Amino acid sequence: MTITNDKEFKAALAVLDNCTRRQATAYLIRQALDLTPDSRVRAGLDLAVRCDANEAELAVAAAGVNSARVASYTQCGHDANWTCQASHFVARAAQECVKPEISASGAWEAAMQARMARICQSIAAGEGTSNREAEAQYRALDDYLKAKGSAS
Amino acid sequence: MSASLNKGVRVLKEMIDAPIASYFSSCVHCGICAEACLFYTETGDPKYTPIHKLEPMRRIYEQEYTLLGRLAKVVGLAKAVTDAELAEWQELVYNSCTLCGRCSVVCPVGNDIVYMVRKMREGMSAAGHSPEGIKGAVTRTINIGSPMGVKLPAVKAQMKHAEADYGVPIPLDQEGVEYLVTLSSMEIINFPEYLGAIAKIMRHVGKTWTLSSEAFEATNAGMQIGNSDLARVIVSRVVAGAEKLKVKTVISPECGHAYTALRWEGANLIGRPFTFKVQHIVEVLEEFRAAGLLKLEGMATDRLTFHDPCQLARRGGVIQPQRNLMKMVAKDFVEMPDAGFMNWCCGGGGGASSIEEGEELRLEAFKRKKRQLDAVKPDRLVTACANCRIVLEEGLEHYKMNLPVVGLTETIAEHIPDAE
Repeated sequence: MTITNDKEFKAALAVLDNCTRRQATAYLIRQALDLTPDSRVRAGLDLAVRCDANEAELAVAAAGVNSARVASYTQCGHDANWTCQASHFVARAAQECVKPEISASGAWEAAMQARMARICQSIAAGEGTSNREAEAQYRALDDYLKAKGSAS
Repeated sequence: MSASLNKGVRVLKEMIDAPIASYFSSCVHCGICAEACLFYTETGDPKYTPIHKLEPMRRIYEQEYTLLGRLAKVVGLAKAVTDAELAEWQELVYNSCTLCGRCSVVCPVGNDIVYMVRKMREGMSAAGHSPEGIKGAVTRTINIGSPMGVKLPAVKAQMKHAEADYGVPIPLDQEGVEYLVTLSSMEIINFPEYLGAIAKIMRHVGKTWTLSSEAFEATNAGMQIGNSDLARVIVSRVVAGAEKLKVKTVISPECGHAYTALRWEGANLIGRPFTFKVQHIVEVLEEFRAAGLLKLEGMATDRLTFHDPCQLARRGGVIQPQRNLMKMVAKDFVEMPDAGFMNWCCGGGGGASSIEEGEELRLEAFKRKKRQLDAVKPDRLVTACANCRIVLEEGLEHYKMNLPVVGLTETIAEHIPDAE
């Protein structure tokens, strides 16, 4: 199956079991890791791809990712730095991946936050609304599912 | 003219109108306002007594407009306000005042201390003693039209994103629709889901609406710094946008001071009545609820509480609508102590959250909110102000409280049936 639109993308995420969905979502969010320098987010995603991650480990990772998310808000009245804001949305995306249970809507939410991060990058670059993250996510999920399928 | 002590003192003199004069002359120094201010209650430092924050302006009032004060000035017994003094007072007038209005409502002689602080800020601003964070916001508002430097391409990018996320079109510059939706910079930058939630709700209730490419921004930095001229310019942009599109109602976003500026002071600022109605988004949602247009599904089973933004509840009088809405979606809705009219501020309103050097004090003041939350132990905290939301999240993070904070509009939108 080749994913070409959001409907298929959502459907593909919906049929996965919890661990596979978390791995797949973390894999998608990792596509946007170039947009954040925060090691807490990277560590959270590294844990999220592990099926043997236990609740205590996830809780520690979630606390770190949440700290990164809160710290990267743009404060009221501050000059909008869209590059920094991209980092905030990657953290928001990662937050979904370090929950013990990730629902299909949570996975979709995470994907949308990663797309938002890419939009922030395009705004920072003066490219306005250009955003190809959706297509990149379709390809990434395809690749992940194919790799998973051939491995099993 | 550049900022200077002389200019600041002149502006302070001009700011002393009949209400200010009567407030100073009727203050009985009871100190009740201190107990209403979270910066005093959480630090115990008497310098944070609200009426004390106005001391330089009180002295100018005394020396210029009272007989004894004038005599004292003539014979050299009056102490003139100095630049160093105004510099010292900057922290009191900006960092430790969120214009929350608790002091005003407890004053036994009816002094509106918030009104006085805002007048004081006009003089402080003219004297060059306003925080860099707020000055920057003002400069960006003048040059770009947004205190956080948000431009139309960014708004269009967010529109496109929200359309994809929620699957609902977001209209721009549609003439003759019912509602003009305005946004705060905070929502555009930090909470794009607000826009998607609005689109989803409007489709659900069957109302026509639009954003305006000329009047998307409602945040009013002029109100925060204490600059009526700037506040007027910002309000005028929204008025021009609304009148050009011939809308019936302008919806103020989940932003406290945007609402106060537009709803309560806007017409006076521009010197004429509006040709449209102004409502906070919470008021609009309540109208939809009362008319039976909101047909929501499912109830949250976790424990929810609501943080009342000061400008909406205390200054704006909007208290019951948010509770009616919460009860539509929450099985276990609990009220914090002092919720509603006397709710305690998040600690970052009135421009305070943009003052970096005020962070330590804000976090100290947050202990009041922590106690409110500890009393009811909610699973989620709902509010209706993007600035409150971030200040709350920072406080919760600082005190290691694991409590998600969500916006009311998004919470309502989440309960709209997915089939739509």
